[in-house]
Amino acid sequence: MTDRTTSRFLDLRALGALEQMRFTTRRRVEGTFMGYHQSRQLGGAGEFVDFREYTGGEDLRRLDWKVLARTGKAFVRIHEEETNLDCTLALDASGSMRFGAAARRDGRGSKLEYVQFLATALAHVITRSQDRVGLAVLDEGLGQWLAPGATASHVGQAQEIVENLQTHASLRMAGGLRQLFERCRRRGVLMVLSDFLMEDAEDVFAALRLFRHRGWDIVVLHVVHPDEERLPEGMAYRFEGMENEGRLSCSPAEIRAAYRERFAAHLAMIRQLALAGGCDYRRVSTAIPYLQTLGGFLVERAG
Amino acid sequence: MTFLHPWAIWVGVAAAAVPVVIHVLTRPRPVRMPLSTLRFVREAVRQRRSWRRLRDYILLILRTLAVLLIALAVAMPQWGARRQIADLAGGDSLRVVVLDLSQSMAARSGAVELFERARTAAAGYLRYRPGLAANLVLAGARPRGVFDGPSTNFDALRDELSRCRVLPQRMDVNRALDMAARMLAPTMPEDHRRRELVVVSDFQRSSWSRADFSPLPADTQIQFESVAPAEPPVNLAVLRIEGRPAGSQGNVQLEVEVGNYSPTARKMAVDVALGHSSWRLSGTCPPGRSTTLIEEIGVRRPGWEWGEARLVGVDDALPADNVRPFVLHVRPPPRYVLITRQAAGRRPTSSLFIECALASLGGAGVSPGAGGAGVSPAAGETQAGRLRHDGGQSPVVVRVDPAAIDRPAVAAGDLVLLDHPGKLSVATIKLLSELMRHGRPVLYVAGEAIDATNLKRLCEAAGSGLEMPVEFAPPSAGQARRDLFYASVRRESPPFAVFGDGLPSLMGRLRFAGGLTSRRASNGLEADILATYNDGSAAIVLTSCEAGALAVVNADLAASNLPKTSTFVPLLAELIELLRDRHRAAAAAFCGEPMVVQLPAEAGSAAGLRVCGPGDLAGGRADSAGGTPAPQAGADADAGRYGELADEAAGAVWRWDSPAAPGVYRIERDQATAFAMAVNLPAEESRLENLPAEVLTSRLAAGRPAVYRGMGDEGRSRDDQWKWFATACVACILGEISALLIFRT
Repeated sequence: MTDRTTSRFLDLRALGALEQMRFTTRRRVEGTFMGYHQSRQLGGAGEFVDFREYTGGEDLRRLDWKVLARTGKAFVRIHEEETNLDCTLALDASGSMRFGAAARRDGRGSKLEYVQFLATALAHVITRSQDRVGLAVLDEGLGQWLAPGATASHVGQAQEIVENLQTHASLRMAGGLRQLFERCRRRGVLMVLSDFLMEDAEDVFAALRLFRHRGWDIVVLHVVHPDEERLPEGMAYRFEGMENEGRLSCSPAEIRAAYRERFAAHLAMIRQLALAGGCDYRRVSTAIPYLQTLGGFLVERAG
Repeated sequence: MTFLHPWAIWVGVAAAAVPVVIHVLTRPRPVRMPLSTLRFVREAVRQRRSWRRLRDYILLILRTLAVLLIALAVAMPQWGARRQIADLAGGDSLRVVVLDLSQSMAARSGAVELFERARTAAAGYLRYRPGLAANLVLAGARPRGVFDGPSTNFDALRDELSRCRVLPQRMDVNRALDMAARMLAPTMPEDHRRRELVVVSDFQRSSWSRADFSPLPADTQIQFESVAPAEPPVNLAVLRIEGRPAGSQGNVQLEVEVGNYSPTARKMAVDVALGHSSWRLSGTCPPGRSTTLIEEIGVRRPGWEWGEARLVGVDDALPADNVRPFVLHVRPPPRYVLITRQAAGRRPTSSLFIECALASLGGAGVSPGAGGAGVSPAAGETQAGRLRHDGGQSPVVVRVDPAAIDRPAVAAGDLVLLDHPGKLSVATIKLLSELMRHGRPVLYVAGEAIDATNLKRLCEAAGSGLEMPVEFAPPSAGQARRDLFYASVRRESPPFAVFGDGLPSLMGRLRFAGGLTSRRASNGLEADILATYNDGSAAIVLTSCEAGALAVVNADLAASNLPKTSTFVPLLAELIELLRDRHRAAAAAFCGEPMVVQLPAEAGSAAGLRVCGPGDLAGGRADSAGGTPAPQAGADADAGRYGELADEAAGAVWRWDSPAAPGVYRIERDQATAFAMAVNLPAEESRLENLPAEVLTSRLAAGRPAVYRGMGDEGRSRDDQWKWFATACVACILGEISALLIFRT
């Protein structure tokens, strides 16, 4: 595999610190090729796991003859196969993801930029472990979709999509997830990177539950900007919605407490929905460097 | 509602806009910020909006109110007050300032005489202004204007204002208003100048309650400038002093009426000085009322006595009324001439009843006092029980047979009584009429039919000087005049007033018989009929006859039960007192008010008489209580200082247009006092109660635009309003702070 270094979000030197880390799953996965992940298939070519008493009809090639000779009992050797995984990165490209940008046309500092760095790094880390990575851009629907792949050109294409990601004013994401569900045939890992500032949060998690029912491993990365957690200091602000929500003038000091309560309730609700849907939930603050977030995430995944 | 500083309203409105303007100008320019969590902001704002809106409205209202209240406080609103005349500017106008010079204006309030305040207030209306012509009316008992009409010589007006002083008089309000009305009256049809009347006074109730503003032109604007304090100042006064006969010992019951015009009851002591003697009368006077202090004193010898009553230990608002001069006329025992044809000693006869009654009066003396000050009995020389003689020397009652009239004997009597005289001769009728005209009182007891003829001839002889209220006639044949009783009496006036509340029971027991029928005379005064029988005929009649008086008792006393009751003697005594005292009321004189006094007959002709004032030396006992004795005989009437003396048909008359200072004035002949009279302050000047402003402006002003301004209006009431508005402003600010604290969370 040839590393693609054209994306401005891919910093190989920084990722070198994570060279020894792999993205792992907590569940058995289905893969096409040999890989580092526990396969859902148990066979005889893999790593020895255990003995099991032979039952009639089983493949005699797995019978451990030496044990039969020593003990007179027929035991079957169980080997665990390892395979690769398909990881699909579902990126939220709604307008709210541009929050935190230094300027309207400059996305630096925004949640989107953070997600771009994180997704690019994840794609790099995942494909380096012989796994395949797919990409889905969720805006009003399923904006772009790239089926999982592990080739250098595939990764490059994915990084290019991430690099050129554009936001759209949308308050719904469930539709895009349903479209994605219809396109994905094999089980894998679905990693959703979103701020979940949408009107159909419950529908989104309903869609995610569809993936879970099919055996997908769902990882929810809830991207939060620190400026969203608390309103800015100052006498008067005219807040403008980023998804065609209009504008509102007020004094932040007067509503700071009420806002904080509501935002905290929103975070709790997303976490509750995620955990209730069997998803792995992790809040990602853009205040923390994405490499640190990624490292922590990988370590946590590695158990 | 008017404002003393109306400009403050506009300032207040502008100031009320200041918070809004400041809010707009200093409103923070909102920082534009894209926000992904706008819906959370919107929810938070929606939650707080109702509270915020309520708080904002409350704060806005309270702030605006506070600013407006400050403006109102500065503007000094005057509820119900019209614009002051002094504030009107521009245009031609006539202005008359009526300045009250009455005695009550000398009252002190806060160590300052009300008159000094009045002078300052009046001066404010006598300042030059283009188009203004003004005049000043100095209003006492005889108001006078500085000029005949409004003038532009303001210097002269102010000069006169600075010279005028309070007079010991009461103000003739209506006369002053008439004078002002004449000055303000338009001189020609096209005279459309504004007319202003400014009255500067204490608006004493007693003087102003009968004020009549109707003579003023209808478009006259009236400004009442009151210099009286809001609460009447404390004042104590001697209101009246009078002597009455007391008992048969020749003593005098001295009655001193004192007024306590203060909110609390007071113990009052009065020193009464009479001649070289003095007495102290004391008693407690309830608040706001008068009390009569009584002391029985003995008088040594006949003659004129004068003195004064002075309140002791009093420090009140009006010191001038703490002293009151008075006069007592102590006369020798009266001599009664009883003309009757009934024999002496024969009983029971009407004349005998009268004779006994007169004798029982003792020195009954009953002599008229002069100067409105008092009546005193003669010295106790006549003892009860002596019937016809006094000490066996001078007879008290002299019987005269009408058939043989002793002219000198009749003329020497102090009172002539006629009872059953029969038909009087022409000479007797002429004598009686002459005696009446010269001041001799006559009491005629008409019990017979012939008395009607006598009375008719007596009236004819007296001429126009005697106008009887009724014409007496003999009862018709067969008409029995018996069982008559008093159907109506003048219970409030002598001779019945002395019986007080017991009058109805006393009168109910009286039955009369005899007498004459009567019918009303066209020219007579109804007031001269003192009592009427149940059949409509007059019972007692008393009529003036030039200097004298004629009383008729229409009854046959022998056939009536009156002489047998206890009512007879006091009734007769009161009637005689009334007859002899007929001129006393006319002799009451007050400072500044014209008087005409008929001198007693014993004073003789005006030639040789002279008038002495309070500070002049009298021939007799001049320095008894009056002023400092003068080395020479006092001023003469010819100088006009104390009026003038003149001879008239009825005798000598003393006329004085304007008695000056209070005190005792005497008329002397050959250094002997022939008459004395006290000139006093009107008693009502002592009551410093003021007329309410509403009465002046709404009722008395007769629909003319009137403004009342009290002494404390500019200082107190307006300040009070300012304080109220300021307090309300502070309350608004406190309310705002409270609202901020309440809505803080």
